[in-house]
Amino acid sequence: MSSGTGVHCVVVTPEKTELDTHCDSLILPLFDGELGILPGRSPMVGRLGFGLMKLKGAGKVEEWFVDGGFVQVTREAVYILTDRLLKPNQIDRATAEADLKKASEIRPATPEAFALRDRALAQARAKLRVGT
Amino acid sequence: MANIRQLDKRRKSVRNIRKITRTMELIATARFKKAMDRAAAATDYTKRITQIVQDLAKSGTDVSHPLLQAHDEVKAVDMLVLTANRGLCGGYNGSVVRVAVQRRNEIKEQAEAGQTSVSGKRGIAAFRFAGVPVEKTYSEFEDQPSFDAVARIADELITRYITGEVDRVDVAYTKFVSSSKQIPVVETLLPFAGIEVPASSTASNSSDKTNTEKKLRDDYEFLPSAAGILEEVVPASFRARLFKCFLDAAVSEQIARMVAMKSATENAGDLIKSLSRTFNRARQSKITQEIMEIIGGVEALG
Repeated sequence: MSSGTGVHCVVVTPEKTELDTHCDSLILPLFDGELGILPGRSPMVGRLGFGLMKLKGAGKVEEWFVDGGFVQVTREAVYILTDRLLKPNQIDRATAEADLKKASEIRPATPEAFALRDRALAQARAKLRVGT
Repeated sequence: MANIRQLDKRRKSVRNIRKITRTMELIATARFKKAMDRAAAATDYTKRITQIVQDLAKSGTDVSHPLLQAHDEVKAVDMLVLTANRGLCGGYNGSVVRVAVQRRNEIKEQAEAGQTSVSGKRGIAAFRFAGVPVEKTYSEFEDQPSFDAVARIADELITRYITGEVDRVDVAYTKFVSSSKQIPVVETLLPFAGIEVPASSTASNSSDKTNTEKKLRDDYEFLPSAAGILEEVVPASFRARLFKCFLDAAVSEQIARMVAMKSATENAGDLIKSLSRTFNRARQSKITQEIMEIIGGVEALG
């Protein structure tokens, strides 16, 4: 990423390139905590968690819900690969609640199944937390 | 003469059919373009994922994941068949069902368990007619399959594979090769083979200069760790891969419908031509006959 005036931020979902914008800085929900990215960040690849992504630019903050995935910081841009990019008000709380219920009822027997359940739980909880 | 009227009626109905098939062709063309655009937009994600996998491989991470490992014993094989919800698209549904049923019979010889899922009303009907039991059916996928719905199916398959309920997952669909070539195929999606570790790691060692250049460019930091990222990359690429199958099927369906409707329109045109010819001939012979009758009458009078 060039250490110019801003951060070039590209959000890609499996369906299409959702967002291609420039901002001053951004905050991402990583797998184990939040990560702030300023212009000139050294290249990295990170695993995203479920939560709010904040794009700061021109005196305002834009908020988006990211549904897991990855972030790849290169010299040119910040690429965010996520399954879904939603505005907080687009989140379907009813489905999230149903997913949470379904996930909590799973009784995992193997470590892999545990990981799958934890992922489903974290996803549903983040949706309920962020959704309005 | 009843024959003339009948011919005219027939010609009118063929004209109406031609109008309908032409409209359907136009609709299919428009939908094909839309589906094509979607498929093109979806390649960005796969490209990025491949990039990340390459970076991971370069950093020396051992690429292993439960989804990549083949199970020792193949007891249960799941199969997903992607067909269309509607007909009138030539051999599209038939050829997918044919390869699917063929593969299913092969599977039956080696594995006793496993679910068969069918997407698309046409496929569901065909399987019912063939007397093949189907566990799950989906009919919500139209010409623009949504990733959310596909991801749900993918997550279910991932869970079944990881927990050992199923040892292999096959998908039967129409693969889009180019706009003039689509082939019905059965592909094995799990154990997942979509992640290819590039051979460049050995190639870059051959010259030191390129090696250092690459190192400068790709010296990534991995958060939380390369292994942690890999844990997520594999399911994500599997979901993207399955989504690609659905997109391919949607594009191929529209092409098949376009081609079928084009030939139907052409055929209707030919039919109208030959019907018009017969109609005109019948009308002329009727006129001639009437004139003959009149002449005959005049001669009788005179």
